[in-house]
Amino acid sequence: MFMLLTLLILSWLIFGTMAAFTLFYKNQQNQQILGVTLSATHAQSLEVQDIISGYKRMCYLIFLLSAGLSLLLLLPAAASFTEFFLLILVLVNIFFNWLAVHRYQRRLRTLKKEKGWIYQRSRIVTVDMNVVKEKGKAGVSAVWSWLFLLLSFIPTFYLLFSPTARAFYPVVFSMIGPFCQLNMIFLYYQMRNSHTPALSENTEINKVCARTQERIRTQAATLSGLTMLVFWFLFSFSVFYAGDGILIILPVFVLITALLLIAYWQQKKIRAAENHFFGPELQNESHLSEQEGAYKWGCYYNPSDPRIFVPKRIAGMGFTINLAHPVGKAVGFGILALVLAALIPVFYGGAKDYVITENGSQITIDAAMYDLSLAKDRIVSVSTLESLPRSLRTNGYGGESKSFGHFTVEGYGKCMLYVYSQGGAYIVLKLDGDNPGYVIVNGKTPAETENLYRSIKAWLGEGVSIY
Amino acid sequence: MLLRIDMTSDIPIYQQIRNQIVFAAAKGNLKPGDALPTVRQLAQDIGVNPMTVNKAYALLKDEGIIIIDRRHGAQIRDCGKTGMVFNQDFDRRLELLLSEARMKGASKQEITTHLSGLIDLVYE
Repeated sequence: MFMLLTLLILSWLIFGTMAAFTLFYKNQQNQQILGVTLSATHAQSLEVQDIISGYKRMCYLIFLLSAGLSLLLLLPAAASFTEFFLLILVLVNIFFNWLAVHRYQRRLRTLKKEKGWIYQRSRIVTVDMNVVKEKGKAGVSAVWSWLFLLLSFIPTFYLLFSPTARAFYPVVFSMIGPFCQLNMIFLYYQMRNSHTPALSENTEINKVCARTQERIRTQAATLSGLTMLVFWFLFSFSVFYAGDGILIILPVFVLITALLLIAYWQQKKIRAAENHFFGPELQNESHLSEQEGAYKWGCYYNPSDPRIFVPKRIAGMGFTINLAHPVGKAVGFGILALVLAALIPVFYGGAKDYVITENGSQITIDAAMYDLSLAKDRIVSVSTLESLPRSLRTNGYGGESKSFGHFTVEGYGKCMLYVYSQGGAYIVLKLDGDNPGYVIVNGKTPAETENLYRSIKAWLGEGVSIY
Repeated sequence: MLLRIDMTSDIPIYQQIRNQIVFAAAKGNLKPGDALPTVRQLAQDIGVNPMTVNKAYALLKDEGIIIIDRRHGAQIRDCGKTGMVFNQDFDRRLELLLSEARMKGASKQEITTHLSGLIDLVYE
């Protein structure tokens, strides 16, 4: 039940994040709404506001429906396929959010065509040379971001001096925090060097606006780094000290909420700054140019842009790949291949039941990516357990209905687990050596576990301690 | 000085950068000794590869319009002191432009009037 609640909360977090992320697209940024170029005046028209209201309603509906459907998991009949149901629900949620963007984008385009809101096609980038020379002078110092990187090594140092903690928290795993901080440093420098529009002929106005925007962007990047550090400390603390995994969800919740709030705050401040400094210029449509051709199926696709990574349409939401660039194509399809390569085995492994067969002097466990063959003479003793002690997955699959692969189990050390949550008891095979020291198996139901135990006992025969 | 780069133009981006710096230096928007942004800064702000800006700067350096110093970066050169204005290359380029105009049907008088207007624009 606890695992189910954890998964439910995580899925609600994903649905909430997707809803918030999708809602960001309704805000006007870079003279675009939902990826459609619109001038400030046209964006304020009643028709556009109507479409945006519909879009907002659709986003809320998708969120509520997804969250509501996830409650079906509380039905006992759904218990055996929880992960699949949630994974499918998350994918469906992402798809419907994308569909909402696409559908309302089409409506806006149709409206634009009907109204004849046509802007120039040439894409002119205006750069103020005096502003460019001042880059990096008004932002929050990079020292903070580097300091966060150093601090993120604290859990690693703690692990180096605590062998008990290392059993549940591999040192390599503790490098994820510093890796995330390195990404935050990259984000900081990208934010600091982002292009600032130079819409005024007056260099002084351009300079002041650039300084203000650089300050806002670097503040957002530094705050994101700090949030990531807080998340990392909370997360590490929960793994070190809390047997209760609910505390692991808390840092995830803090991280996602804070990052979304920072992105929202940054957008709002940047818009306010642009309106303050370039208000009249923004109302003027002569400088506005169509940017729609740069996006294909929601991905950035611009053959005339030599960049591989470009900032997303929504400020502060990271970077996207230019799929029109040959290297961009390779990176994009490489990431897709990696995701598929990671997801397909998880699907396969999660759907497949363990098949335990005794074959003369060997017992084999067929469990997708974590097959195991055990010679009879390696098994020292067999015993049963009523409940599984606290365990941490090091490399394997851990779901609501089943878990398999390499785990570290309290009191047992490194183990191979092939267990179902509804299997009642657990059969513990103690091996000679300690890597793994134990293999723990059971059946799908208490009756199956009982049969399996009898069968293993009969197979082992005499010479092995049976408890 | 405002640099306007048309990403959809047939003129290469490095050529657009070079041309606009020449115009700005001629019109006094960039004065001798004025520092230009670094290659990396300018490339990041325009959103192009640093090699593109580097090519424009190399062209300007070869033409004697800027000097590149290790400590101070790129600076507008005091071209007035060099005195090397009307050389063979200048004549060849201008001759080519005048030939194109004549080929397209412009009379000598029209070209003179038009050139006079352009001279006023640059020297205003």
